[in-house]
Parts: sequence; structure tokens; C-alpha cells
Amino acid sequence: MGKVHLQIEGICCSYGAEPVLNGVEFIVERGGLLGILGPNGSGKTTLLKAISRTLKPHLGRVLLDDQDIYRINSIEVARQMAVVPQESHFDFPFTAREIVMMGRTPHLGRFQSESRHDWRVVEQALAFTNSSHLAERRITELSGGEKQRIAIARALAQEPEVLLLDEPTAFLDINHQTEILTIIRRLNKDYNLTVIMVLHDLNLASEYCDQIILLKEGQIYALGSPEEIITSTNINAVYGSKVLIRPHPLHRRPQVILLAKDQAQTKIAGGARVHVVGGGGMATSLLGELVQAGYKVTAGVLNIGDSDWEQAKILGVDTVEAAPFSPVTAENHRSNLDYIEKAQWVILAPIPFGEGNIYNLKALQTAARRGQRVVVIERIPIQERDYTDGKGLLEYRHLLKLGVIRVTGEGEVLRLLQREGQT
Amino acid sequence: MTSKRKKTFPTLLFLAALLLVSIVVALGIGAVSIPVSETIHILARSIPIGGRFLLPPTAVIIPSHRDILIELRLPRVLLAVLVGSSLSVSGATFQGLFKNPMADPHIIGVSAGAALGGTTALALGPRLRYFGLGAVPLFAFAGALLTVVLVYNMARVGGRAPIMSLLLAGIAVSSILQALVSLITYFSDGELQKIVFWMMGSLSGRGWEYLLLALPYSLASMAVIWVFARDLNAFLLGEEPALHLGIEVEAVKRYLLWAASMLTASAVATSGLIGFVGLVVPHVVRLLLGPDHRVLLPAVALTGGIFLVWVDILARTALPPLELPLGLLTSLVGGPFFIYLLRKRKHALY
Repeated sequence: MGKVHLQIEGICCSYGAEPVLNGVEFIVERGGLLGILGPNGSGKTTLLKAISRTLKPHLGRVLLDDQDIYRINSIEVARQMAVVPQESHFDFPFTAREIVMMGRTPHLGRFQSESRHDWRVVEQALAFTNSSHLAERRITELSGGEKQRIAIARALAQEPEVLLLDEPTAFLDINHQTEILTIIRRLNKDYNLTVIMVLHDLNLASEYCDQIILLKEGQIYALGSPEEIITSTNINAVYGSKVLIRPHPLHRRPQVILLAKDQAQTKIAGGARVHVVGGGGMATSLLGELVQAGYKVTAGVLNIGDSDWEQAKILGVDTVEAAPFSPVTAENHRSNLDYIEKAQWVILAPIPFGEGNIYNLKALQTAARRGQRVVVIERIPIQERDYTDGKGLLEYRHLLKLGVIRVTGEGEVLRLLQREGQT
Repeated sequence: MTSKRKKTFPTLLFLAALLLVSIVVALGIGAVSIPVSETIHILARSIPIGGRFLLPPTAVIIPSHRDILIELRLPRVLLAVLVGSSLSVSGATFQGLFKNPMADPHIIGVSAGAALGGTTALALGPRLRYFGLGAVPLFAFAGALLTVVLVYNMARVGGRAPIMSLLLAGIAVSSILQALVSLITYFSDGELQKIVFWMMGSLSGRGWEYLLLALPYSLASMAVIWVFARDLNAFLLGEEPALHLGIEVEAVKRYLLWAASMLTASAVATSGLIGFVGLVVPHVVRLLLGPDHRVLLPAVALTGGIFLVWVDILARTALPPLELPLGLLTSLVGGPFFIYLLRKRKHALY
């Protein structure tokens, strides 16, 4: 580890007059596991072709152990570097084992037949890819996932130090995607194989790669660890899509949740600000719906760790935060009032009231008195969610008298906002 | 694989023996029937060095039989072997090169070039002769090679000749050349019969000079293709994967293209257009022995030879004293057999 294995020096590639890669530069250390991400047409596959000695860049160099791969002969490169294509297509009925044996080609002389060592390497490659039982099967009869495992086994039979893969999971279902990527990661971790793979799926890349390159229009937009690269700002800048990022529940690597773009709704929302008073999970779906509909949403006061607070974090909603399980402080209250003042709509979710959050009702009363549009959702009767011996009840009734809009469910809120927004 | 490897050698040995038997049988069959034992004695005695002592000199050898056998039948039968082998190996090579089991020796227009050359020679008249040969085989050979040069250069884009471009250029050139052949045929009423008959393919009256014309090219080409047998296997993975296995794809492609075209050229130049052999024989052998070219190529060469020897026997003996065109028979015999194979093994067409 640590030693430079592959060095890409300012490569430029073009198809005809159309430049595809423009000065791409990076270093991969021995034993590194690098993912290349980017939208369609950003140059991912071209970059892999340049590294694999398939497409000679018109500028720049690719150094493998300090040697320019375009200056050493193809057999020497094939002994150190293997490539797994996106998909393999076969018209001829070789057995899986014969296909894997083809990986020995760079190690065999023209008239040399396979030695016992070659057969052993082939069996190991088959075993490593969980494919020993496929050895005698015809390649034409295998499923996509099985064929891809055989393609990896063939690459392993080359006994390479670098493994390049071009979207190895592009045509596979989710189960086979994780199977293939787990095999690749095991090769990387257990055998210190340097791996570079082009991936399409941001979540898989985040989960399996140690380093990620984000390509945009033939240039490196960002390079770093998954945590550094998979951020909603980066994704938005490169792919132009709005996404939510949250850590994976098991390994905490960032996971991407795509938000569908609905231009018509965003137009109706017209950039209006909505402040939601929630807590205890009562505003979770409402927050999502409002963000999705294109409103600028704020929330408060929410206790840290509360499920509404978590949702607000994921959605990137600006939130007034109170310490976990603690009452709302005077300072919280003030910031809440600030947010409320800026909002065109203030919405009260059917939250339970305790001594800690009764301040929220006071804040809403202030808003209503100012003449702001306050919407109260009365799905659950106030009696059932008052835990303050009637104090909350009083404040609540007082609020209702100040001329708020009362609705019976969350579903009505969005309809109301959109109806009002159009007029 | 180990089990397959075990049965490979006996199979090749069996095919070689079958070829020898076929040759001996074919030599005995004809207007004058010669017994097998006499055939063997004549052959043994004709071996220049030591042949006289190979077998006891008890058998009676009729001198005219010797002449018929050595001067007429032997070159023809050997040419049948050579043409059958050449077309089959050429077909197998093109199928591998193009990654397409439906490719055949005529795919890039070599045969159309040969046809144009041959037709031109026939239309010019039979007076031209070189090296004891008529103009037809020489013109056909030249036509074939010129076509490869043309097609390859048409398909080439900056040092690379993509397979798809080769295929398309081949189809385009083929149809132009075929149109020219038709044009010449249309305007040469006197020679029409000859031209049509030549195009149907035949080994009738081919002597040693034909065999000697084709032999060096065919053998050299087969040797080249054999050398690249492993590369041909890798080509079936695709051009890029082959490249990643360290194979100089463009160079190897060029050698194989030339060698396979040369095989087709020498076959067509000496015997006219014989279809179907180059398509069917590789298929059948692949069904039996698998697609590994290191086994496939020698087996295909032997099987192609055997097949054409027997079809030629049929051509000579089916309707005596008439000789049927060989190209018609290969299709008539091979076609139904091919269909039978496809029907029988529906799940694995190739």
C-alpha cells in the first residue's frame, strides 16, 4: 500500500473533432479501489479505454509502475493488467473453463500448451468467483450474472496486478450486482489488487469504492472518499438532479435518494416559504411532501434525534434545533419566531404537547396575531395529545380563536397551499 | 476439458485414416473400375524411392490402369482433397474472424473476384496459356487477390479495419463484381455454356498442373492460420478483449484475412465456385469437437477433404457418362444434412 501503481498524466482523447477527455490527471496507489462516476457522455468509458491501452490518448501518458503503457509491448501489459468488459457476448459454445483458460494467453508461448500450473490458476480463478460448478457448462447457456463471473475469472487467470472494469454490473439484477462487487472488493482487500471500475450506480460506488472520481464533461470535477464526493451539491452540479443524501444504516457510507423533478409543481410553489411546527414524527410525511412540491421549507423547534428532526436533516430543511429530550429554550423560541416571520405559511402538525414544547403554541399565536397565514391540522383531537394538565389545551384554544385555517388532515395542506398559490 | 482433450487425438487419427481410405476408394471408381488391391500396389510402386520394395510384386498391374490412375485420377482426387480442405479451413477462419457462425469463404467477395477473373479469361478465348495452364485459373487467382486488396483498403480507417466495415465492403464489392460477371456472360453467347458450367464448380479433367498451382498457396495459408489458432480463439471474445490479452489484433487480423482469402482464391481458381462446403464443414466439426481452433482447424481440414472426395465420386458416377457440376452437388447433399443437424440440435445451432 501507499506506493504509486498507476499514474494518469494529463490525458486528452477525442473522437474526431469532439474532445472527450480534457487533461485528466490522477494517481492510483497499489491496492487502491477507485470508482469512476459521471453522467452519460462524461468520458468514463473513454478514460478506461485510455488506461487499458485500447484508445491511445493524443496527449498525456498512462504510467503503469512508472512505465508508459503505450511504449511497452501488449503482452507485457496484458500480464499486469486485465480488463472486464461491460457485457460479454458469445456465439460459439466454449465451455466456461476454456474461456477462463484464454486468460492464460499472455503467459503462454505461441506453440506452448497449457501446463499443470496454468490449469491450477484457472481452477483457482473459477473457485474465487464461485464458478467452479460452471466449469463444464457452455458459455452460451449461462445467465448474465454467471457470464460476468466467468469474465472476471478470465481476467484473474491473467494473474494481473491491476483490474479494470467497465460497468461490471450494468446488466445485472441487484442480487448479482452485490455478488460481483463483493468478489471485486475481496480481490482488492485480500490480494491487494489495484482496481479501477467505471460505475453507473452512485450508491454501489459509495458502498464499494475507497476513492471516487466524479467526471464532468471530460474533466475531473471532484476526487476523494465517498463521503467527500457523494454530496447533494456535487451530484446536483454534475448530474443536474436534486437528491437527498443519508448514511447507509449498516456501513454509514452516503446513500443517494433521488427526488423526482416535477416542474409544474415547482412553478406553482413559486419559491414560497413554509414553516412547519412539528415533532414526534407527526410532520415527517408533510415535510417530505412540501419539499417535493418545491416549497422552501423550514422547521422548528425540533429536538435533536427526534424522527421529524432526522427527516428535516435528510431533506436539507433549515431547522431550529433543541437539545435532545430538553425543553425549548428562550433562544430557540426567538429563532423560531424569526423563521416564522419570514414564512408565507406556518403549519402546525398534530403534535403532542408537553411542558417542553408549549412555547411552540405561543410562537404560533404571535404569528396569527401578526396576521400571518397559520394552518392547524386537527387530525387528532387536542384532548388526546395534551400532556400538560390543560395548559396546552388553553393555549391551543386561544390560538384557534385568533383566526387560523383549520384542516382535518395533512392531505389538505398541500391542496390548500397550491390553490392559494395559483390565485 | 481433460475428457475432451483425450478424445481429440483419436478423432483426428480416425479422420486421417478415413481420408486415406476415401482417396483409395475414389481412385478405383470410374468408367474403368480398378480393384482396391491393385490401386494400392500401383500407388506403392509409384513412390519414387523404395516404393518398388514396399509390397510383394505378386499382384498383376495392368499398364493402362497405372496411367489412368496416376495421370488422370490421382491429381483429381488430391485436388478434391485440397479444395475441400482449403474451403473448409477458410470458412472456419472467416467464421472466427467475423465472430459469426454464418460467415463462409466467399464472404468478403474473394470468390466474386475469382469469378470475374475466370469469366474474363473464358470470354477472351481459350488460346491464352501460361505454364501449361489455361488462362482461367490464373485470371481467377489474380481476380481473387485484387479483390482482397480492394476490400481491405476500402474498409480501413486509419490503420484499423473494423470487422463490420470489412463485411460491408465485401458485400458491396461482391455485388458489383457479380454484376460485371453477369454482364460479360450476357454479351458472350458463344462461351455462355462454358462460363455457366465453370461457375457451378467442377474438378473434371484437372491434371497435376492444377494441383501444383494451388498446393503451395493452400499449404502456406493453412500453416499461417494454424500458427494463429489460439489468437483466433481469443478473437471470439471480441476485438477489445483479445487486445487486452496481449494480441496485436490488427496485425493478426490482417494475416488471417490474407491467409483465408488465399485459400479461397486457390480453391476457386482451380475448381470454380463450390458452395456450402466452407459453411457446413466447420459447423459439423464444431458440433462434434467444440470450438477450440487448435483442434477445430486440423479436423476441419481433414473433414473438408473427405467430404469433397465423396461428393466428387458422386459427381462422376451418378449419371454416367455425364458429370454433374460439383457445386450443385455440394449444396444438394450438404443442404439437407445441414437442415437435419439444425433440426436435431435446436437448442445449439452452432
